[in-house]
Amino acid sequence: MRFSRKISRGRDVSRLTLRLWDFTGTAMLNLFMFLFLIAYLSPLPFMVIASLTPHDQFLDPNAPILPSKHVTFNYDGKARIVYQVPTDQGIKHWALYKPSRQSSQLIDPEHPETGPILWQGQWRTLKADYEFAPTLDNFKDFFAVAQIAVYLKNTIIVALISEIGVLFSSIAVAYGFSRFRIPGIKYIFFLLIATIMIPSNITLVPTYYLYSGHMLNWIGTWLPLIVPHFFGSAVLIFLLRQNFKSIPRDLDEAAMLDGAGPLRILVSVILPQSIPVVTTVALLHFFYIWNETRLSSLYLGISPHLQMISFAVQRNQTYFFTPEALMVGALVVMVVPVIVLLLSQRFFMQDMIVTQIEK
Amino acid sequence: MDAVNESRLLIKTKPAKPTRLQREAWVGLLFLSPWLIGFLLLKALPILAALVLSLTNFHMLTPEATKFIGVENYLHFFRDAEAGANLLGSLTYFLLTVPLEMIVALILAAIFTSERLKNKRLSQTLIFMTSIIPATSIFFIFLGSLQYADQLIFEPLNLSPIQGFGLLLPFMTLWSIGPGFLIIYSAMESVSPEIYEAARVDGAGPFARFIFITLPMISPAIFFTLVINLTGAFGGAVLLDRGYILNFSLSPMESYINNVMFQQTDLGYASALAWITFAVMISLTIFLFWSAKRWVYFPEGDETHEI
Repeated sequence: MRFSRKISRGRDVSRLTLRLWDFTGTAMLNLFMFLFLIAYLSPLPFMVIASLTPHDQFLDPNAPILPSKHVTFNYDGKARIVYQVPTDQGIKHWALYKPSRQSSQLIDPEHPETGPILWQGQWRTLKADYEFAPTLDNFKDFFAVAQIAVYLKNTIIVALISEIGVLFSSIAVAYGFSRFRIPGIKYIFFLLIATIMIPSNITLVPTYYLYSGHMLNWIGTWLPLIVPHFFGSAVLIFLLRQNFKSIPRDLDEAAMLDGAGPLRILVSVILPQSIPVVTTVALLHFFYIWNETRLSSLYLGISPHLQMISFAVQRNQTYFFTPEALMVGALVVMVVPVIVLLLSQRFFMQDMIVTQIEK
Repeated sequence: MDAVNESRLLIKTKPAKPTRLQREAWVGLLFLSPWLIGFLLLKALPILAALVLSLTNFHMLTPEATKFIGVENYLHFFRDAEAGANLLGSLTYFLLTVPLEMIVALILAAIFTSERLKNKRLSQTLIFMTSIIPATSIFFIFLGSLQYADQLIFEPLNLSPIQGFGLLLPFMTLWSIGPGFLIIYSAMESVSPEIYEAARVDGAGPFARFIFITLPMISPAIFFTLVINLTGAFGGAVLLDRGYILNFSLSPMESYINNVMFQQTDLGYASALAWITFAVMISLTIFLFWSAKRWVYFPEGDETHEI
């Protein structure tokens, strides 16, 4: 009797400690992830802060971090900047009226009727007063110079046309790799993998020659950025092929018995089961076009009205190399991909099959 | 009975009529044709042209003075200390950043498989988000945030701005962790729970389960991520292309080749350098594939022994 009670109490205690242990474990894990994410994403808030900060604030080493402006006091028909002035009665917040090197005249905003006060000391060593005041001027300046609407239109046109090409050809090629018995297909597939590893530098000069006035005369047009995608992209073919291969063949065999041809099987059997991977591939290509700057600089450098957003903003920003202008450019360029990712997070790169793992 | 067995045998040895097989191969090749044509026109021919170019002294500004100079460009590489240093820099970059990325991705993926973690989808998206930020933005973000980092971190820690920038570099590396992380996480999620259960019954703790079950089971995903990262470190295609910054690439060899190509306009030498990089990369990849036999787990009965 006593014995059994002891056991049951012991069990209660252990269950309680287990639960406590469980709770602390969960809390620690989630806290760790939370702190990791804060550290990981920490540069992003600074980007927003900097883009809202007036330029003058970056020149003052004593300025606060948040976007602010000087506290001013209107006196004698002009706004005077308020400084923190050390006096015998502690620090006073006085507005600078007549600055000069050794001594300056200041105004007490609370008692302007007493007139200017003479203060001995160098006013340049004083700390200015700031109040929180985010500004949109940086964005206004940015949009006044950069023709974002044009760049956006160009990017969307190039992205759409090349997207159609890359999806059609990559899906067809991946289907060819995943479903047909072709002699030596293993070696062709190795070739595909090898092309992924070719550094883009190596083909740059000959392809430039191909597109230049010597042969195709495509420089200054979008064609060098669009046409190659109609031949498929090796990375995307690889991803699609791995996922097509994981779809059981029973269904295509059933469709084949019903008299469906290969194209019909691709459209009505394979594709409906591959929506996540096709979405992923389409988005990967969109991000590629959006981020593209190298080919733009080579082929579109001479035609500003055809330029796409990443390269155009990058080029504009080199003329306005101040922290706030850089951050505005960064924000403008990254906002679209981030929104696209957030909208597509249910599909994008979910359950990516890159390897054949038995489930 | 015998007749049935015989017919089965027949089916096994001759799965289809030869004509049907041939037809299938032709249809398959038709599907492959876009890539095959593109490969010949846009990859194979340019690569061969680059090889020819690397044997000449072709300068962009004086094309008429082009001469065949044999392997002179390749010999020049061995005298060019800067090129060697940059190639070594690319290798060091690969050796420093890739293990960091892989280890962090593995740890994060392991945490994500825990059922106790809340808001997985959101955290996953936030971790991934930094990988799609265009290079243009990344460059501006890190240049612009130096001001704040200086004020908030470097000064209190008594670091010079250069040392501080060195601290920011691992950050930039980790900001491209997304694809690797998701691939490893997907692989971890697809390991069958029965194996874990069996190990638990045998008394294996969480750490032992991770080392002896998770790691071997997801080794193909790790291998794939390694190969993709290696490719990226030398300027090949990657899953998520951030784009390329003018005169600025994290891969030193790529920057150097661009410099030779566009600033010095010595295209023959640039092609030779690109070929050397390609050779180094391919040897590393072949080494990886060779070593894969020892540590990558391929499920049995899988006709495809590829990644």
